[in-house]
Amino acid sequence: MSMEDYDFLFKIVLIGNAGVGKTCLVRRFTQGLFPPGQGATIGVDFMIKTVEINGEKVKLQIWDTAGQERFRSITQSYYRSANALILTYDITCEESFRCLPEWLREIEQYASNKVITVLVGNKIDLAERREVSQQRAEEFSEAQDMYYLETSAKESDNVEKLFLDLACRLISEARQNTLVNNVSSPLPGEGKSISYLTCCNFN
Amino acid sequence: MADSLPTEFDVVIIGTGLPESILAAACSRSGQRVLHLDSRSYYGGNWASFSFSGLLSWLKEYQQNSDIVEESTASWQGLIHETEEAITLRKKDESIQHTEVFCYASQDMDDNIEETDALQKNTSSVTSSTTTKPLDSACLSEETHSLYATDHELPAKGTPKSDGEISLEVTDVEDTLAKEKYCGDKTCIHTVSDGDKDENKPIEEDNTDQPKRNKITYSQIVKESRRFNIDLVSKLLYSQGLLIDLLIKSNVSRYAEFKNVTRILAFREGKVEQVPCSRADVFNSKELTMVEKRILMKFLTFCLDYEQHPDQYQAFVQCSFSEYLQTKKLTPNLQHFVLHSIAMTESSCSTIDGLKATKNFLRCLGRFGNTPFLFPLYGQGEIPQCFCRMCAVFGGIYCLRHKVQCLVVDKESGRCKAIIDHLGQRINAKYFIVEDSYLSEETCSNIQYKQISRAVLITDQSILKADSDQQISILVVPPVESGTCAVRVTELCSSTMTCMKDTYLVHLTCSSSKTAREDLELVVKKLFTPFTETEIDKEELTKPRLLWALYFNMRDSSGISRSSYNGLPSNVYVCSGPDCGLGNEHAVKQAETLFQEIFPNEEFCPPPPNPEDIIFDGDDKQPEAPGTNNIIMAKLDSSDEVKT
Repeated sequence: MSMEDYDFLFKIVLIGNAGVGKTCLVRRFTQGLFPPGQGATIGVDFMIKTVEINGEKVKLQIWDTAGQERFRSITQSYYRSANALILTYDITCEESFRCLPEWLREIEQYASNKVITVLVGNKIDLAERREVSQQRAEEFSEAQDMYYLETSAKESDNVEKLFLDLACRLISEARQNTLVNNVSSPLPGEGKSISYLTCCNFN
Repeated sequence: MADSLPTEFDVVIIGTGLPESILAAACSRSGQRVLHLDSRSYYGGNWASFSFSGLLSWLKEYQQNSDIVEESTASWQGLIHETEEAITLRKKDESIQHTEVFCYASQDMDDNIEETDALQKNTSSVTSSTTTKPLDSACLSEETHSLYATDHELPAKGTPKSDGEISLEVTDVEDTLAKEKYCGDKTCIHTVSDGDKDENKPIEEDNTDQPKRNKITYSQIVKESRRFNIDLVSKLLYSQGLLIDLLIKSNVSRYAEFKNVTRILAFREGKVEQVPCSRADVFNSKELTMVEKRILMKFLTFCLDYEQHPDQYQAFVQCSFSEYLQTKKLTPNLQHFVLHSIAMTESSCSTIDGLKATKNFLRCLGRFGNTPFLFPLYGQGEIPQCFCRMCAVFGGIYCLRHKVQCLVVDKESGRCKAIIDHLGQRINAKYFIVEDSYLSEETCSNIQYKQISRAVLITDQSILKADSDQQISILVVPPVESGTCAVRVTELCSSTMTCMKDTYLVHLTCSSSKTAREDLELVVKKLFTPFTETEIDKEELTKPRLLWALYFNMRDSSGISRSSYNGLPSNVYVCSGPDCGLGNEHAVKQAETLFQEIFPNEEFCPPPPNPEDIIFDGDDKQPEAPGTNNIIMAKLDSSDEVKT
């Protein structure tokens, strides 16, 4: 991670059942693509997109599950130090909605208290096959104190909005100094990733 | 969504400990189709870390382990063909024994956790006179600005004060910190509120030279359970060690964060003291005289390139390192520092091994900080998971809670063809990697395992108070009597994200001669006072108090040769559980050795492409099979898209 010119860097992590369109959301947003028949994502750890919000450059580092959600085997370390979580389900798949409480339990266990969670119902382009009503999802997200949005990665509906709104929210949280980085580690700047350390020592 | 497991792989790996996870990453990275399984619900096996309640359920599992009736899983006998035979795997893990729990913090709820000693079976006669491995200095070729690298004379003006700018801590912080502690007190109050019956117990709030101690109750610990990440195995990363090199090379380091160990401590004449080990430390030490400082610096500088000065030690190669040190004009406390805190060797270790260990320590100094060690935030248990993530990113398939019943071996070739899982599904592969504890008693019947004695303590104060209460310390307590082992003590503060605020997590480790409690209790008593003993003895009160303690023995399956296992097919490889050493060199070496054995022509964990450089092609070919070495669809582009 070299010195780049951005004002904020946020780590956003996607979770949710396999097949709900997590990777499609990321790729739609970062590359403007909708890859049909998307298989597992090989070799891509996270995607980067820098956006400008009110004149400030915000670098979003968006992490995907690398397929570990398929058999409920996501590593705890995946959740560490995330600034925001996007919990995704498929509006045409009741099962993916019913699994949400399970995901919330994982979040509670492993993610930071301060993490922002957004609930996303994806695939609204397939409205005729909808199994989860918007109202149900809204009630659920309200009860869980989450933001809620419906998207279509395919039609690019609300995808930009999802990430840009999230970025705005992250910025304002960062401003209030309540963001993970500043609170959870008592001595700021002491926990370091090796890559930060090495860039001074080797590169 | 009942997703079913694919049935064709190149490599099946059973167990998610560190060596297996490194291997998984390496295999997947080189294009193999990897299935990585663990029978447990968590990553890491005996390398795992747990929240406090997670640890309690882990304990419960081992305590109940003995009386679980083997549940009938899908039968597999029918799936074995005539030309095949089965090697069954172990049904329950037996690598943990003699678990004992003591709770000293006041328990205001009725869920008493009492001494538990359920596992008293097969105490395999412990064969533990083995010394801990000498820290290997292989692969330490890189040059760094070590603090001793130059051979200049000691600056005569090297008084503590003039060197102040190198010193990390400034002394006048004490007052502010004491205040912070009081504040910390307040934030805790809300968690105690629910019916704390222990108000009548006197808490000592006196004490001239001590800030008021927080009273942490058991229910607080339970409530703050998530704040704990309690490692089953206590290790540190040598900053020039194999694991750091591998993390950096493979880029797995991006998944973890680290902190420097801040202090090296020594226990001498009943007292804990800080060992000066960097140049700045030595100069700033208040304990050492000027003469001692010079002697120590001279000796350490010599150790850095001792090979260049054979005349200095050649005559002593037959002697032990401690005898050698006596000839070097080092005062007894300096000898103690070098032997136990810097070389961290047994007194009996040879001069050469001692010099080697000292040199390794010194080389690791100053790469990342003031001591040679790093500790991963959230605990050592993160590290295997980081390698698993890398494996998954390159297509490896992960499945926890997945038991394997047996290996299927082709009678004619003697090679393993498949595994049969608990669902009765047959999964084929070319290579199989199995962690030792999964192998059956029959397979391991010739092996006399060593044992590791472990204690995990939650305490209310640091064993050596300092200006900052956020210290990460390592201490080696020399053998109390001859024949026993040195005990390694690691103390972690809350900013390592392994324990709740106002507590410390202390790990004790030694190779076993008896049960963990018998091996370690003496050292625990020397360093700590049980919380419940509230006598107002001044001396006692200066010690940190124990809130909770756990003892257990863990099997050490390192260093077992392949031929010791009965009837292992040629394409089945065994990884060992954690070893007793401080570093992770054994695990990394084992993973690399096995990888080279299986795939002699492949590079071990090469650096992956930087995700920031991956821009997908417009026409977007999908990466189909995980069997691709590179990211086909990616082309490199340095500029990030900027969106307005």
